[in-house]
Amino acid sequence: MESKYEFEEKYREQILKCSRCGFCQAVCPVYGATLRPALNARGKMLLLKEVMDGKIGLDDQLIETLFQCTTCANCFHNCPSGVDVPEIIKAVRQDMVRAGSCHPAFEGMNEVLEKHTNIYAEDEPEDFERVRNRKAEYVYFIGCVGSYREDEPTMAALDLLDRLKVDYTLIDEVCCSGVLEDVGFSIKEHLAEKNMALILETGAGTVITGCPYCFRTFNDKLQYSRLREAGVKVVHITQFLQDFGFGVKTDKRVTYHDPCDLGRHCGIYEEPRNTIRKIATDFVEMPDNRENALCCGAGGGVRGAYAKNSIAMARRRLEQVEEVGAEIVLTECNSCVHNLANAKLRRQKFRVYSTTEFINELMEEAE
Amino acid sequence: MDEKIKQALIEIVGKENYTDSLIDMVSFSYDASEHSHRPACAVWPSDADQVAKILRLANSEKIPVIPRGAGTGLSGMAVPIKGGIILDLSHMNRIVKISIEDRLAVVKPGVVYVDLEKALEPFGFFFPPDPASGKVSTLGGNVATNAGGLKGAKYGTTRDYVLGLQVVLPDGRIMRTGSKAMKSVSGYDLTRLFVGSEGTLGVVTEITLKINPKPTATSTALATFDSLADAGNAINQIMHSGIIPSALEILGRETLAAINENTDLNLPEVDAMLLAETDGYTREETDYQIKKVIQVFEENNAREVKQARTDKEVEDLWAARKSAYAVLARIKTHFVLEDVTVPMTHIAELLKGVEEISRRHDIQIATFGHAGDGNLHPQILYDGYDQEQVRRMEAASADLFKLAIDLDGTLTGEHGIGLAKAPYMTLEHDPVAMDVMRHVKKMFDPNNILNPGKMGLEE
Repeated sequence: MESKYEFEEKYREQILKCSRCGFCQAVCPVYGATLRPALNARGKMLLLKEVMDGKIGLDDQLIETLFQCTTCANCFHNCPSGVDVPEIIKAVRQDMVRAGSCHPAFEGMNEVLEKHTNIYAEDEPEDFERVRNRKAEYVYFIGCVGSYREDEPTMAALDLLDRLKVDYTLIDEVCCSGVLEDVGFSIKEHLAEKNMALILETGAGTVITGCPYCFRTFNDKLQYSRLREAGVKVVHITQFLQDFGFGVKTDKRVTYHDPCDLGRHCGIYEEPRNTIRKIATDFVEMPDNRENALCCGAGGGVRGAYAKNSIAMARRRLEQVEEVGAEIVLTECNSCVHNLANAKLRRQKFRVYSTTEFINELMEEAE
Repeated sequence: MDEKIKQALIEIVGKENYTDSLIDMVSFSYDASEHSHRPACAVWPSDADQVAKILRLANSEKIPVIPRGAGTGLSGMAVPIKGGIILDLSHMNRIVKISIEDRLAVVKPGVVYVDLEKALEPFGFFFPPDPASGKVSTLGGNVATNAGGLKGAKYGTTRDYVLGLQVVLPDGRIMRTGSKAMKSVSGYDLTRLFVGSEGTLGVVTEITLKINPKPTATSTALATFDSLADAGNAINQIMHSGIIPSALEILGRETLAAINENTDLNLPEVDAMLLAETDGYTREETDYQIKKVIQVFEENNAREVKQARTDKEVEDLWAARKSAYAVLARIKTHFVLEDVTVPMTHIAELLKGVEEISRRHDIQIATFGHAGDGNLHPQILYDGYDQEQVRRMEAASADLFKLAIDLDGTLTGEHGIGLAKAPYMTLEHDPVAMDVMRHVKKMFDPNNILNPGKMGLEE
């Protein structure tokens, strides 16, 4: 039988191996926020099975569920049958876009990145009061959220790097465009080329980024292979910071939220904790942590396309912050910071920071 | 769905709690079995009153209503085989009350098993049945299917803990059964009639559960046996020893081989592996029990016996058993997970019989399960797109049910009849019992609107 869709060729066996046990329902953030089985991983796999059986079409009716997945991979992590749902979802979204069915928010994002340099279509980048594109040992790559939505954590990260006397430069960066692959489109070659050219021009041996998604894109995607060929290493700032001492401490109760892109997708769990333990005497874990961490609800394009549910997912995560009585919740992803901070209720007195911003604040206070 | 009925349902539950969209209809077509059929619509009621109104409407219009929890059942009982309205009870998920003094918890049906477990933990209490799907399955589903689990041998199944229920009958009347008292012999035991009734008699809207103090210590041991007969004798002798293990699990040869092929656990490929856990409140107590179990293992020619000394070793001993389902789930695209149950004296014969059936029908069957209560899980692996394999799977299933009944056992120990085992009801139940069951169904649900087509009740 000839496959009608590309996802089928690659993932047919896996989709059929979904035994419908429903164990994903226990961890799916979208299900947790909506209690709607059609939005859970099992619901999605069942729909794909019916698509492969020719019972239903891969059309607009499926957008609401297939484009509503944060690709947090908690289902994959808990699946007895080993079904890699996030990868399947990404492949299906590409088929849907080819078939003319796409969530308008993502069509919009794709168009924006045709014409603009970032997902917010903002053409006046913040300069963060730094000289850009100079020769340096390191490039600091900010990412769209850090550049245009969470500029305070970014400024703090840069201040911290200055305090630690790191020789870095910013570049006239553009969106890495990795997210487009998640939502049915492709990485924009011209954006990738521009980033790579700017990075290589600085002569830096290492790119440090505060964005776990840019980190994954640079390290994993074919379009960025020229960086790897040139021997340029790309690290997340949490990996970079773990070898530093900061000489400051807080006695506030601190907890840590694992971003899905850094945790389940890259296995980076201990580096941020090592750093946090250096500065926090009262560090506590939330009930769901490391590979079991609840998603903040922002990923996979869900924040843009399904804002209400995205916030509901973040609220569920923040309930755990309350449960452990933390005053500070740290994380390593600006998207997580953004969504968690937006979802925080007025009565919730804890504060949400990126780890770098928090350390920088402690150092600033100590000076 | 008829527009008039749709509007009436929306009036009851609100627009946001009604759906007939394709994505919901497809996802509500399935449970964890191989059966499927689309409903016409689904609703998410928020209280017993709404459930009553929905049932009254459905009863007068003669539309099927299928109550649903998490849809993790393995025999098709939540599958709307005759269409109709899915009644998804997951929004009714409040723990109403925990009373340690009265040793009970009152919950709404949509509470997930593990959420009750978490709520009881600070008190040092638990609700023992421990179904394998406990992270997802709802207590309403547990009651409707009389769910069991690993600890069945010592702690019984859901049935043993349900003190009382609030039930909405098909005509919309709301009834309370049982009592909040620990003991009650007041009138017929209506509570038990509803436990395991698979949503065919009424819709459970509140559950009063007995809870137990949670044992704080466990000891764990594992033994392998070259011969099935020896493993069978060991199980029998454990029963004589006066020890009731909190878990006594068995893995058959085919399962051990499959685990070896797919993991690095390097298990010995023997006829059977037995895993025992004893529980109590001090280590001395549980060690005393496990030593007796180990003695029995040794007296019955166990090839190898291991007792866990550390938490890590406990984890290692459980690794094979805990990986069984996941390993077997990945081998073929389809499987059927059976749950035939026999008196413990017949476990070895049942295992042997399963191997014969596997050979006879040339189909892979791997068995593991709860030796402590005679409940085995032969998992039949096949390719559902190969009609010949499907036929062999069905023939093997039929032989398996016959074997269980011949060994004085039952078709199902904990998964229920649903659709999968409906054709075999008359194998187990005589014509009189079937007649009585049909009359019971008719009395509660004369229009046959509640979960129709299940349990072989339709002649």
